Amino acid sequence: MARWLLRRLAAAALIVWLVATATFLLVAFAPGDITQRLAEARVPPHAREQWRRAFGLDRPVWTRYAEWIGGALRGDLSTSWTTYRPVAVMIGEALPNTIFLAAAGLLLELLGGVAIALRQARRPFGASDRVLTLATLTAFAMPTFWVALLLAEVFAYRLPVFPPSHMHSPAGELATGWQRLTDLAHHSVLPVLAIGLTGVGAIARYLRGSLLDERGQAYVLAARARGCSARRALRVHALPNALLPLITVLGLSLPFLVSGSLVIEVVFSWPGMGQLVYSAALARDVPTLMGGTLVITVAVVLGNLMADVAYAVVDPRVRLGGGV
Amino acid sequence: MSWRGLPARFRHGIILLGALTGACIAGPWLSGDPTIIVEPAQAGLLPPLSQRWVVELRDGSRTAAQAAQRTETGWVLFGRGEPRALPAGAVVSVQRQVFWLGTDTLGRDVLARLLWGGRVSLAVGLVALLVAVVVGTSLGLLAGWHGGLLDSVLMRLADALLAIPALFLLLLMAASLRPSLTVLILMLGGLSWMGVARLVRGQVLSLKEREFVLAARGIGASPLRIALVHLLPNTLTPLSQDAALRLGDLILAEASLSFLGFGVAPPLPSWGGMVAEGGEVLGTAWWLILLPGVAVTAVVIGAALLADGLGEVARPEG
Amino acid sequence: MTRPFPTLWAVIALALGALSCRAEQGGAPAPSALGARQGGQVVVAIAADLTTFNEYQWAAEAAEAEILDLLFPSLMVEQPDFTQRPPSFGERLATSWEFSSDNRQLTFHLRPTARWSDGRPVTAEDVRFTYSVQKDPDLGAMGWEFKEFITAVEVIDPLTVRFTFSHVYPYQLMDANDGHIVPAHLWSAVPRDQWRTTDFSRLLVTCGPFRLAAHIRGQTIILERDPAYWGRPQPYLDRLIFRIIPDVASQINQLLAGHVDVVRVVPPRDADRVRARPDLELIEFPSRDWGYLAWNNAVEPFDDRRVRRAMSMAINRKAAVDSVFLGHARLAHGPILSSMWAFNRNLPTIPHDPEAARLTLAEAGWRDSNRDGILDRDGKRLEFDILFPAANTFRRDLAQLISADLARIGVRARPQPMEAAAFLARQERGEFTALLGAWTEATRIELSSAWATRSPTQGSFNFISYSNPEVDHLIAAARLEPDLSRAQVLLDRIQELIVFDQPVTFLYERNELVGLSRRIRGANVNAAGLFFNVQEWYWEP
Repeated sequence: MARWLLRRLAAAALIVWLVATATFLLVAFAPGDITQRLAEARVPPHAREQWRRAFGLDRPVWTRYAEWIGGALRGDLSTSWTTYRPVAVMIGEALPNTIFLAAAGLLLELLGGVAIALRQARRPFGASDRVLTLATLTAFAMPTFWVALLLAEVFAYRLPVFPPSHMHSPAGELATGWQRLTDLAHHSVLPVLAIGLTGVGAIARYLRGSLLDERGQAYVLAARARGCSARRALRVHALPNALLPLITVLGLSLPFLVSGSLVIEVVFSWPGMGQLVYSAALARDVPTLMGGTLVITVAVVLGNLMADVAYAVVDPRVRLGGGV
Repeated sequence: MSWRGLPARFRHGIILLGALTGACIAGPWLSGDPTIIVEPAQAGLLPPLSQRWVVELRDGSRTAAQAAQRTETGWVLFGRGEPRALPAGAVVSVQRQVFWLGTDTLGRDVLARLLWGGRVSLAVGLVALLVAVVVGTSLGLLAGWHGGLLDSVLMRLADALLAIPALFLLLLMAASLRPSLTVLILMLGGLSWMGVARLVRGQVLSLKEREFVLAARGIGASPLRIALVHLLPNTLTPLSQDAALRLGDLILAEASLSFLGFGVAPPLPSWGGMVAEGGEVLGTAWWLILLPGVAVTAVVIGAALLADGLGEVARPEG
Repeated sequence: MTRPFPTLWAVIALALGALSCRAEQGGAPAPSALGARQGGQVVVAIAADLTTFNEYQWAAEAAEAEILDLLFPSLMVEQPDFTQRPPSFGERLATSWEFSSDNRQLTFHLRPTARWSDGRPVTAEDVRFTYSVQKDPDLGAMGWEFKEFITAVEVIDPLTVRFTFSHVYPYQLMDANDGHIVPAHLWSAVPRDQWRTTDFSRLLVTCGPFRLAAHIRGQTIILERDPAYWGRPQPYLDRLIFRIIPDVASQINQLLAGHVDVVRVVPPRDADRVRARPDLELIEFPSRDWGYLAWNNAVEPFDDRRVRRAMSMAINRKAAVDSVFLGHARLAHGPILSSMWAFNRNLPTIPHDPEAARLTLAEAGWRDSNRDGILDRDGKRLEFDILFPAANTFRRDLAQLISADLARIGVRARPQPMEAAAFLARQERGEFTALLGAWTEATRIELSSAWATRSPTQGSFNFISYSNPEVDHLIAAARLEPDLSRAQVLLDRIQELIVFDQPVTFLYERNELVGLSRRIRGANVNAAGLFFNVQEWYWEP
């Protein structure tokens, strides 16, 4: 087990390096650089050359790459070319916002998915099951950005129930304590719904099948024989076993927790990692783009690893190092 | 196996997908050219079920009117703003047209755009799927069969590609390369083969030790023959199920890319691009955003039903 | 009997003393508008966050420049009469100014009561320091070229500063005034080679009607009234809040829902929605933004003037502009905006005449020899891409309308959306055949950067490679001509030549559409800026 873990960690480091290099090369060879915007503001060409030199863009790609890698290994992610603040600080600000949204979304998906699947498994192929199947299928199939736009239009503009964007209202930005918390909660409802709705469908569909499988197992029938009601049997006995494989889903969701849903953040002006890396890519702000990508990649790789480990721990039948 | 004998989900999925695909393929004949611009000042942002007289002019452009009156010298058109008089020589034809799903900001028929956009989205999705399946299956077979170093290298490569935040990379790639249809398909397929490869590899690993495979090896069958005759057919079921779900994912990915502006170029419509355009006029023209989103949802539902159905075919439920 | 006069004089003296004290502090505002009262806040929607508070560290967009204008002083205030003549100026940091007899020197007298937000006085040293930053060739700050004819800025005494010019020309005041004054006492300590990478938000002192209360990155900028402001009137508003909403459609939705009070760029499509609301006001006036279809004059087939003119004739420019801007833009005719004083009212116009276009193209050798519907010459088809930034919906729609028009005369123009930075890169390097571009004109007549032949000293934005020696000669002459009527003659001829050459197809001149809540009173939004008289704005709950 320990050897396997070590090998996987080494592989993980390799992967992170590969991805970082690929991203660096891609942005280095993409047309345009950070000084492009200067042209629009009528900064003359010789001055733009000065800017390029200041950002080191006149040096060869390999030199710049080596510099960045060296810095990253020392823990120095350099300074953003658009805000002049340390990249680590910007990530430190954006990451909690993304984690908050993604975690809340995951929670909604799990709770909603479990509730719906339980309802469906109680009486499979009955009327409510069919309706819920269609509903979860539709929720699962809807494009996230579409759902986000529709939610904003209906619940923020047509019916002014929720705020249409941002994390806080102007008053909420300056508030503290309980007021700040409720302001945040109010602003989170629509984005979390947009993220969660599609996920609820996926989880409900999966759990339904899983619950139906477990329902027929010996231990559940034994519980029923002991006098357990059908509902209780489902909830207390079958559900935990049905949920087990979902652990891997959680592990695989870690990257999503960190990278966030770019589209949701764009639609709702949520200052998260997705928006950070996206605008860095558009502006060719190399340090921010590289820093953000690094963090996300590390999260992905760790998430995969955790999912594999969790699955092995949970299900002793799985051999590590072989068929995983 | 009779049609009735197939699981319900499978049938529903096939019917839904078939109908949508058929409509999209037959689109141009059903509803006309989606790139035809009808004077936006007269025909822009018409709600569904609007009817107008579409007037084709001698210079090739088109305008629209709510009512058209023939006079001795030509036509008088009534619509938004002041009535316009046109000499007979300037007018080629005056025809009544029903805009079943309304028009967009440039006066183009939404139904035509929806069907044509479906062609584009489905084509991109299907071909990208093909790329992903072919590449993924080949690499999965190789990795599973040979094992050892080749296996490790391929799987780590797959992990690396899976780790990449795809949207940003696609964005940068779209900036570097001309986002033509081919490039888009290759990009989407190229970032989608990893799941297929993992699946196939897993199957090969578990099948490798089975008697019939060992027997085949015993009698000296070549690896290629074993792969084609023994391994692939037994992989088909989980593979097709995964493929059906993957189609849905690819269509959603293409829609997201188009929504952000990195998909196909105008005037070619695509569903994602139409949602983005609809988002700009959401307050005044709700149909522009609703319809393409429904279309994407329908296709993905069809694909999911298909996948479920394939699962049931393999493992009949009680 | 007691004499009343000493008491009376005492009272008068006291009153005068009190008033002058208030003037020193810039105390409570004298209500200049009926019913104006203190308090309230206005929420303004902006599309992007401020990248830096130092406008010489980077290049500021228009919206950013307006926010910085609230925090930092300039010497004078430019008036909105720039459309009729080179603009006149009002007092701001400078209370008065005068030219020397030969007009080569300009002396400003600064306000003695001006203070930075840390209490230090604003002096001539700040002006001199600012000039040294603006003129530094290594810094490449925005507005560098406007200091070209200023050779020196000297401190005569702490409240007097003198500019020396190398030439006498119509825009001397404007050039001296360009750019905001920055605090020398804090920022001169930053070494020049670290100027670009320093985080100036840590060194922020301001001197304006408002000061920075909070900056939540990517979300909100909160400005509050600065009680130490020396100007009059002091603002009525307590706070000015800038909400960063990148999507314009969302900005409008939030204006209509009451979450924001000001939207700077109302899309033409939503103009009527705003106008129809009794609680909102739509302000419209000609802006300085204009758009064009650029041809690469160095590359076939657009190196031939006939082909360019044919394109302009084939495109129904009026219909395209009306379709996209719904009446909120006018046709552009030439290199000078039609709202400016120097516009040549007798410019020959290019008519919409597809037949003439076809004939002109035939003259240039382009005919449909193989009957495939597309013109060709020597085996090459007349087809090309029209590049534009994918996110810009106006240019996206224009590209398709233009493409349809050109298709009718046998020219195949393919709209090609591009990612924004890639588009700018291609534009700058001249790697295009045709592109849809837009430009914001300055408040002065400045033709050399876009229309003069490209060289190290001029034509730095002439990426279309346009070159007409006669135009170059006239531009150089008009630039330095102090007599406006003589300059007008030269400018008229330049416009005629450029319109004849059609290096670009001139498309539209947009109107500025500003949406305001009617609860904001006293606002005078005009061509000189959104916040032109923000100190007089007050909030009616």
